[in-house]
Amino acid sequence: MSKLGARSIIAVPYLWLLLFFLVPFIIVLKISFAEMQYAIPPYTDLVAWVDEGLTINLNLGNYAYLINDDLYARAYLSSVRIAFLATVCALLVGYPIAYAIARADSATRNALLMLVMLPSWTSFLIRIYAWVGILKNNGLINNSLMSVGIIDQPIAMLNTEFAVYLGIVYAYLPFMVLPIYTNLVKLDNSLLEASADLGCPPWKTFLTITLPLSKAGIIAGSMLVFIPSVGEFVIPEMLGGAETLMIGKVLWQEFFNNRDWPVASAVAIVMLLLLLVPITFFHRYQSRELEA
Amino acid sequence: MSDAASSPMLEIRHVTKRFGELSAVKDVNLTINKGEIFALLGGSGCGKTTLLRMMSGFETPTEGAVLIDGEDVSNVPPYKRQVNMMFQSYALFPHMTVEQNVAFGLKQDKLSKAEINSQVQAMLALVHMTDYAKRKPQQLSGGQRQRVALARSLAKKPKVLLLDEPMAALDKKLRSQMQLELVDIVESVGVTCVMVTHDQEEAMSMANRVSIMHEGQIMQIGSPSEIYEFPNSRHTAEFIGSVNMFDASVKHVGTEASLMSCTDLDSVMAVEGGVNALEGARVGVAIRPEKVIMSRSQPQQTQNWAKGSVEDIAYLGGHSVYHVRLASGKIVMATTTNVDRHEQRLTWHDEVYLHWSASSSVVLYQ
Repeated sequence: MSKLGARSIIAVPYLWLLLFFLVPFIIVLKISFAEMQYAIPPYTDLVAWVDEGLTINLNLGNYAYLINDDLYARAYLSSVRIAFLATVCALLVGYPIAYAIARADSATRNALLMLVMLPSWTSFLIRIYAWVGILKNNGLINNSLMSVGIIDQPIAMLNTEFAVYLGIVYAYLPFMVLPIYTNLVKLDNSLLEASADLGCPPWKTFLTITLPLSKAGIIAGSMLVFIPSVGEFVIPEMLGGAETLMIGKVLWQEFFNNRDWPVASAVAIVMLLLLLVPITFFHRYQSRELEA
Repeated sequence: MSDAASSPMLEIRHVTKRFGELSAVKDVNLTINKGEIFALLGGSGCGKTTLLRMMSGFETPTEGAVLIDGEDVSNVPPYKRQVNMMFQSYALFPHMTVEQNVAFGLKQDKLSKAEINSQVQAMLALVHMTDYAKRKPQQLSGGQRQRVALARSLAKKPKVLLLDEPMAALDKKLRSQMQLELVDIVESVGVTCVMVTHDQEEAMSMANRVSIMHEGQIMQIGSPSEIYEFPNSRHTAEFIGSVNMFDASVKHVGTEASLMSCTDLDSVMAVEGGVNALEGARVGVAIRPEKVIMSRSQPQQTQNWAKGSVEDIAYLGGHSVYHVRLASGKIVMATTTNVDRHEQRLTWHDEVYLHWSASSSVVLYQ
């Protein structure tokens, strides 16, 4: 009875994943093996009755196309590079924030945590759009710098790779701060005192005790920033220039500009496979941490 | 010990520590000698931990000075003091092996690899943990963790070793064993040791000298037997062990013995020697339960006796504690050793006479 009860509880998330993750994934996978056609839907069926026989048309051309046209390889590489550098920046910005919050007294701590999370309560799109207003040539920064007289010409910030980094770091910072904070707040203060007692000045205690013991938080936060950043579309589209090449943008163009659903699906599948590498690594690490 | 008294290792001079409005430590003076094991004993919130943290450097005194080996270290940070602490939780670094934990302090001193290695091995041998050198702290038992923590705090050959509630994390059986072993190790190294504890048994069994702290002040300093047999205040008498406290008034002050009257007793109360009070003054008289003798027949002596009935018995195996209610309603505790297995012992509601000698009681003025 209890076994049945336990199973039915586990069944809920499994059904959820099955319905909203696995089924759409299979549909995308199916489309990636189809051919484009001008119809509704804009792709051919894999399985068809031809001459009273069941034929399966598996089209690997979309994948071959991804290999042949170096645009895709460049887009993947550039996405990984941008996501990686943005993750490093988010870590450099997020770690001190998490550290400060964890060290604050409990009353201020909650207020500070709220400040980290509060922006995510408004629409992501609106917040990124707000950055357009801040960064553009006659935007907030350039106008105020020019009115003070520091610069005569507006600095081109919008439509640059810099703006993309800024956008990613800004948007995903809470995902970096929260896991590191959760980790640091559990850190036993007596370990830091023991280190000082044994002759370690504070900066060395940070490097030898605090940093290694917050490794799990750093890895979790980095994964939470890196994985969605690779496929990010809104930020490079709105803040990045024409030369900012990211796979999310390519995917969008294939789907909506070229209306080539099969190639777009193939792009999505390959991106997923690429992301499986860091995800498995993360998963392995987490289960090893749990065992220890 | 006699010549050690002339060479203080740790001095606390008029130290006061305030946290906002609250004074945790109030004008404490203390001298701890080389090679001594000294215990700060007191209940929670008595200021003993704050005092220890000022010795280690985690707190700085609001007033006064802390001197180690003659040098004022009041404002020296912990990482520059030749003092090491064994933490209550042991605070072993979870991401390092036993070996690395012990080596941690040595690595800060820019010693050569060979020197560090030989010192680590020596320390692990000292605490019998050589076989566990490659383990992580979470793979050790509580007692083993304590050994590693001790090795780590001794590795740098500190001038003073601080022990913060050293036995608090161990179960009772292991505790008494480790108390003796820890004292052996500390004495073999010869390090001056200050421990903080709320457990009087621990303080008395481990330390050469004990100081009783209460509300930020030191009430009494002395050897364990001095503190137990000659408490100087009601607080100390009641804090250390159990005690029967009588309110009495001075009747006659003599040189051999003095007499008191106490409404709880059926007889006059006599105490050894003179009393530092005028006739008619109110004083407290403390008598330890093991010094109270019970008998079924009226004692021969005319002083220091009372009659009562057994109200409660706590049988503890080796000895029993009897709670005897006197005619006045006062409960007096008396301890008997259970020597004979077949003895017909006193039981509930038995009539019983209590008596004690004049040398057993201590007169307390505050």
